[in-house]
Amino acid sequence: MKQEALKYFTDTHLTAMGLVIFFLFFAGVVAWVYRKHSKEIYAHLEQLPLKGGE
Amino acid sequence: MYKEGLQRTASSSLLEEIFYDDEIVKKFLLATMIWAGAAFLFGLIAALQLAYWPLNGNMEWITFGRLRPLHTNAAIFAFAGNAIFAGIYHSSQRLLKTRMFSDLLSKIHFWGWQLIILSAAITLPLGYSQSKEYAELEWPIDVAIAVVWVIFGINFFGTLKKRREKHMYVAIWFYIATIITVGVLHIVNSIEIPVTLFKSYPVYAGIQDALVQWWYGHNAVAFFLTTPFLGLMYYYIPKAANRPVYSYRLSIIHFWALVFIYIWAGPHHLLYTSLPEWAQTLGMIFSVMLWAPSWGGMINGLLTLKGSWHLLRTEPLIKFFVAALTFYGMSTFEGPLLSIKSISALGHYTDWIVGHVHAGALGWNGFLSFGMIYYLVPRLWNTELYSKKLLENHFWIGLVGVILYYISMVVAGITQGLMWLAVDGQGNLVYPDFIETVVRIIPLYWVRAIGGLLFVVGFILMCWNIFKTIQLAPKKVEQKPVVVERTGYGEIYNAAHRKLEGMGLTFSVLTFLAIAVGSFIEIYPTLSLHKYVEPNSFVEPYTPLELAGRDLYIKEGCYVCHSQQIRPIASEVLRYGPASTVAESMYDRPFQWGSKRTGPDLARLGKRYPNLWHYNHMVDPRAVTPKSIMPSYPWLVDKNTDFLVLRKKLSVMEQLGVPYAQDVIANADIHAQKQAQEIAADLEANGAPKGLAKKEIVALIAYLQALGQKGKN
Repeated sequence: MKQEALKYFTDTHLTAMGLVIFFLFFAGVVAWVYRKHSKEIYAHLEQLPLKGGE
Repeated sequence: MYKEGLQRTASSSLLEEIFYDDEIVKKFLLATMIWAGAAFLFGLIAALQLAYWPLNGNMEWITFGRLRPLHTNAAIFAFAGNAIFAGIYHSSQRLLKTRMFSDLLSKIHFWGWQLIILSAAITLPLGYSQSKEYAELEWPIDVAIAVVWVIFGINFFGTLKKRREKHMYVAIWFYIATIITVGVLHIVNSIEIPVTLFKSYPVYAGIQDALVQWWYGHNAVAFFLTTPFLGLMYYYIPKAANRPVYSYRLSIIHFWALVFIYIWAGPHHLLYTSLPEWAQTLGMIFSVMLWAPSWGGMINGLLTLKGSWHLLRTEPLIKFFVAALTFYGMSTFEGPLLSIKSISALGHYTDWIVGHVHAGALGWNGFLSFGMIYYLVPRLWNTELYSKKLLENHFWIGLVGVILYYISMVVAGITQGLMWLAVDGQGNLVYPDFIETVVRIIPLYWVRAIGGLLFVVGFILMCWNIFKTIQLAPKKVEQKPVVVERTGYGEIYNAAHRKLEGMGLTFSVLTFLAIAVGSFIEIYPTLSLHKYVEPNSFVEPYTPLELAGRDLYIKEGCYVCHSQQIRPIASEVLRYGPASTVAESMYDRPFQWGSKRTGPDLARLGKRYPNLWHYNHMVDPRAVTPKSIMPSYPWLVDKNTDFLVLRKKLSVMEQLGVPYAQDVIANADIHAQKQAQEIAADLEANGAPKGLAKKEIVALIAYLQALGQKGKN
């Protein structure tokens, strides 16, 4: 019975799709974070908690 | 009183005077402490009950099976939940430079959440439970949770909309991910059909239910106990240390990686079950991948203190943050480790998992919350902390408590796991009697209780310290306005630079998509399982009396200590019988595969013992297993089974696809009473008291005797 269910669920393309989507997504985030001139805006952002008072 | 004023400076930049709503923060903080006390106390009692069973007191309301879900709900939703809300309401106003969107929604959120907690505190001891891990509350409370969460969401996103700071600091990202994902998780996991006011059946069954529940359960840990606390960490550690976060770039990378990966990891709770192999592998791979973003967050938090470690001496509350991050790092190292299949074979169902979650809950969530409370209370009440010495004592006593708890449970878990797996050269179990594996770890249960007690002692010191701080604070201090300026809107950077950081809606949609991809790919195929598997051909549904017994099994929290899933591991098959199959649980709503074995697995229990054995086992477990630590359930012999509700129950089951004949549904109570008479007659013939046919114990015996007996093959 279990084997019969598994026969239909060897959907390895789903796993592969997930990994590909994640990899592309991750690569996109890294590219976004290290884009040109991003350093100055992050320098501003990281100061936000320190500017808001107590 | 809180009208915002405008003024222009000499340089013509627009400055505004605003008042933050700190009253709501104070309310959530005090609620955090009150419910923390309740959660810790319930946990301590539960720990003592495991070490010394008479502390169950033969009282149904405090018996371990009912107390444990009360403890977990109190810890997660009452203690951690209120702490999260306190921190979010406090930090969001300051990061977004605006008062909350609506004071009314803030109040509804606060009081609504407290009412939900109160409802849980009443209904769980009464046995109203769905037995779904971290989602035990029955359907009316589920509806209330959804409503209050949406109100919180409207209030938060309304605040985001009217913000004066264009850029959204990373803490806000974590809050957004939390609000969206918890909403999705709760709603999808809670789809159920009501039977009565306090009884419902989930629309998912068996393997579907298992996957949905652990998709929810794991991500409740991820998006209720991790992402919001990371958001708080990104705000309060820089504030306490007065220096910016170590690497903002790292925070962005680890945020997206965490949000995307976490949602896939739920199946690691179902390794070696009848869940399809591909889904198990997926869960394992994504769990191992979680190492990187989790440690990214920990390293980022700890290195924020780089060059300022002297603050540990001068600002002792930072000790709590450092310890919290260390426990976060340990737990997020251990989690992926336990998700590796071969290690899961040893650790799953053991106390190692209990140690693992408590290192996270006490060390990470607890210590971070304590640090935040110590930071906030003096500021909110315009005073100084009453005693730094008490704070230090709290820290060290609490730390020793967590360490004792953790080490004792890991040792207990590995001991259990190795004893369960042990097979000798002839292929026989080395420890065939399950009770041997229980007795061996009782001393460690005492060590755990001592650890828990120390944690509570530390907490009491904090309560005293906070009480004195507030008591000695000035009584009437007029709230001062804060002068803020709209920033980030008129800046002319390269346009692409701040698009995402400044676009609340786009950001939220992207976050939703990040969690939706994994959820869909994982859950959809399992939900369509009926297309491939026809359980009617393989499995008989439960009889009406068995269904009544199953609901009693759930009500008494038997699932807390017993599993119904035999893993395809040699020692398990030797101990319990053939491994569980995907078909045989397809009528189980909810599934009962369990997550912890304090007692043995019950999947093949049916017909193994006579009815009288079960009767004695429930009334006095020591009568059949002398060293058992199981509570006694004397009230099952006194209380009557509700036969009349069975027609409705079967009708709902039939709506959900369970093949009950119309005749069986229409006469469910009669069928049940007939079967009950047969069991009662057998019990009486073997020496049990007369007149048990209407009693709950007979229904429960019917269910236990049906386990593993429903397969047609």
